[in-house]
Amino acid sequence: MPEEYTSLVEALKALTQAEDPNAENPVTVTLPMAEDEWYTRPDTVSYGMVSLDFEADALRGDDRKVATAYEGSVDLFSLARNGAGWVELITGTLTEHCGGAWSLNHHTYERDTGLFHWEWAFQVEG
Amino acid sequence: MAFNIQVDGMNELLNSMGKLPEKAAKVAAEALYEGAGVVADAVSSGVNGIRTEPFKYARGGKTRKPSPEEKAIVAGAKHGVAKFRKNGVSVQTSVGYQNAGYAVLNGKTKPIPQIANAINSGTSFMQRQPFFRKAVSQANGAATAAIEAGIHAREDELNPD
Repeated sequence: MPEEYTSLVEALKALTQAEDPNAENPVTVTLPMAEDEWYTRPDTVSYGMVSLDFEADALRGDDRKVATAYEGSVDLFSLARNGAGWVELITGTLTEHCGGAWSLNHHTYERDTGLFHWEWAFQVEG
Repeated sequence: MAFNIQVDGMNELLNSMGKLPEKAAKVAAEALYEGAGVVADAVSSGVNGIRTEPFKYARGGKTRKPSPEEKAIVAGAKHGVAKFRKNGVSVQTSVGYQNAGYAVLNGKTKPIPQIANAINSGTSFMQRQPFFRKAVSQANGAATAAIEAGIHAREDELNPD
């Protein structure tokens, strides 16, 4: 398992165990920046972060109501149109850890920087 | 052997049943409007909570908060419940900035939905503040309750009598 993939999994695990997301200082885990030896994925121009943003009303994916649910997001910025392998890694990890309670919330191209931006929103039980 | 059954009022009942989908769509639309209003109000409150800082160019991997001007544009923009889309008894709508128009920001004309999106989801140079996603998520239960209450309050309209 690639190191960066492990980091993402660990980040999501850590977020699911967070007790209280703070709006001023949300729990944020920055994905490792690419290094030279990563010749397959991600490329040297991709970066991202995982954060737990606020307490949600219910789990969206299966519409379950649980005592406490948190909503978070994964952001990916990449100069590569296809995300250089990160998209598959992130969505696979979200499915593994959040079931159906996640969705692609935002996908844009920043003309000023040339970066493609993905934002996935996910929900986890508290 | 054959027999006939005649029920008084059956024709009236069938006529009423024929109009039921139309009535149901009307009730659903009115109830949905109330539920969507809950979400729209939550979004308005969320806009007020956006944290800002004076505009600056963010370079070198740094990010900035939205500027007061950006917040003012989003707060003052037309947003709310979109025109209803009906298909039989199914009624759909959405809450957002679909027809909010354009605004001049730092000398450039930009679509207001784009500004709202940038604040909500962030960019590589601006911190995101998910005011819209948070409002929609947290108003989910209240909106559902409002829709259910709206339907129950109009049950008489669904009665064939």
